[in-house]
Amino acid sequence: MARVPIEEGYFRIPDDTGEPPRLLGSKCPACGEVFFPRRLVCAQCLHEGCDDVELSTRGRLWTWTYCHVPLFGAKDADVPGYGVGQVDLPEGPRVQSILSATADELEIGMELEIDLETLRENRDGDEVVIYRFRPVGAPSAGAA
Amino acid sequence: MRRGLRFENVAVAGIGMVPFGMLHDDPMMHLARDAGLFALHDAGMTLADVDEGFVGYIGLTSMTGIKAMKELGLTGLPVTHIENASATGLVAFREAAWAVSSGRADVAMALCFDKFTDNARRGGRGGGRDEIDAPILPASYFALWAQRRMHERGTTPAQFAAIAAKNWNYGAACPWSHRRPDHEVTVEEVLASRMVAEPLTSMMCCPADDGAACVILAREDLVRARQPGRRVVRPLASSLTSETYARGHTFVGPVVGPATMTSDTAAECYEAAGVGPEDVDVAYCHDAFVNEELMYYELLGFCAEGDAEKLVEEGQTGPGGRIPFNTDGGLVARGHPGGPTGLAQVHESVLQLRGEADGRQVEGARLALAHLVGGGSICTVNLLEAVS
Repeated sequence: MARVPIEEGYFRIPDDTGEPPRLLGSKCPACGEVFFPRRLVCAQCLHEGCDDVELSTRGRLWTWTYCHVPLFGAKDADVPGYGVGQVDLPEGPRVQSILSATADELEIGMELEIDLETLRENRDGDEVVIYRFRPVGAPSAGAA
Repeated sequence: MRRGLRFENVAVAGIGMVPFGMLHDDPMMHLARDAGLFALHDAGMTLADVDEGFVGYIGLTSMTGIKAMKELGLTGLPVTHIENASATGLVAFREAAWAVSSGRADVAMALCFDKFTDNARRGGRGGGRDEIDAPILPASYFALWAQRRMHERGTTPAQFAAIAAKNWNYGAACPWSHRRPDHEVTVEEVLASRMVAEPLTSMMCCPADDGAACVILAREDLVRARQPGRRVVRPLASSLTSETYARGHTFVGPVVGPATMTSDTAAECYEAAGVGPEDVDVAYCHDAFVNEELMYYELLGFCAEGDAEKLVEEGQTGPGGRIPFNTDGGLVARGHPGGPTGLAQVHESVLQLRGEADGRQVEGARLALAHLVGGGSICTVNLLEAVS
């Protein structure tokens, strides 16, 4: 069964299911600033034409929260809460993402690694996946 | 070069709004009409006096503003739609003030309205957890900012709760406030309310409201002629910015935006007005989530970086304090229907500067500041002054 991204252009899915996904970024050849997601014009120096790069699979948690009320105005929605965080990658980008962790597992400054989570199966029978961050060493959410 | 605007020869002719709330039974167009009529009555005018209109909303379809204006009459006036997320109302106000100040209009109207409860009923926002650009609940991304503050400064949930209690209690005294508690709200009550996104409890978060508000600006001599004997309030200056890139900028997902956006915007506005934060008597800010208000004490220049918690502990932003904030309850209590929120801030500013804010009046208020951010990506700061 193949794995397909929920949206093209944000991350690459490795063939080896044991490998983490890679976020697709851009590096400005003029000033060296690195961005996620990909962009044509450098946000720092306005140079046109950034180079494609793949970003590191680990980063540090800049800040986080745990949301207990997932739906706007739906007070009695029977849906679980989820962690949200911003992760600083070594190349520079700060990536906002859902976190695969409970509130008591999260601490500012901790190391997180990127992972894939299977959301559903599409009509072609492919697994639709999205990236998440989880504490380093925590069990993968991928094998859903 | 980007600069704040300083307005000349323009004053507030009229203000009007409907009390904000979950107004399921009131058609949107009737809310807009009533807010418009209240402002026209306050100004002593009809739509025939208005040269130009600016209409704003967030959650409705294209050209709904024209429909709303037609409720007030069909006079052929030029109408422009404005949308800047939560800052829509203040930006409509800024454009109307600028239209008069620039000399192209003698009288201009800003009319904003929204029905957020319709969105909530559809169960929108937050269901997008499993999307790349996830429209997660707004409380989540503002909670990210709160957590960072707690980490850096040791801010406690009780300090956030104290701001919430202040705004709920201010709301009790404001006839247009959605939340009007029948008892003194305490820090304990705020902390004990339902956890939404840690550390923000439900009483630290604004409601998703319905509402409408209107402000009419006119040449100062016309305002004096229409309402002789009333204290004149005029817009003094305005600034509007979008994000500036800095390392750590988050491009995917709804975000708060760089904190410097508010301090930069405020600096531009103060400079254009020729005043400083020490001159401001009463302030309104985007307290959709109360940790924001704490940050804006610093970013708007009312205290040094790191001193905001002290301001809270000393009660300096409440009744009798050095710089009362959100005297109508703010977004947290008065409510946040989106488009009209900024005009509600102007409504309350004008009442304060006229000396008509019964039960919550800041004695001797001469200069008011109104700040909003929109979608985390734009910021506007506006100053209004009472003229002797």
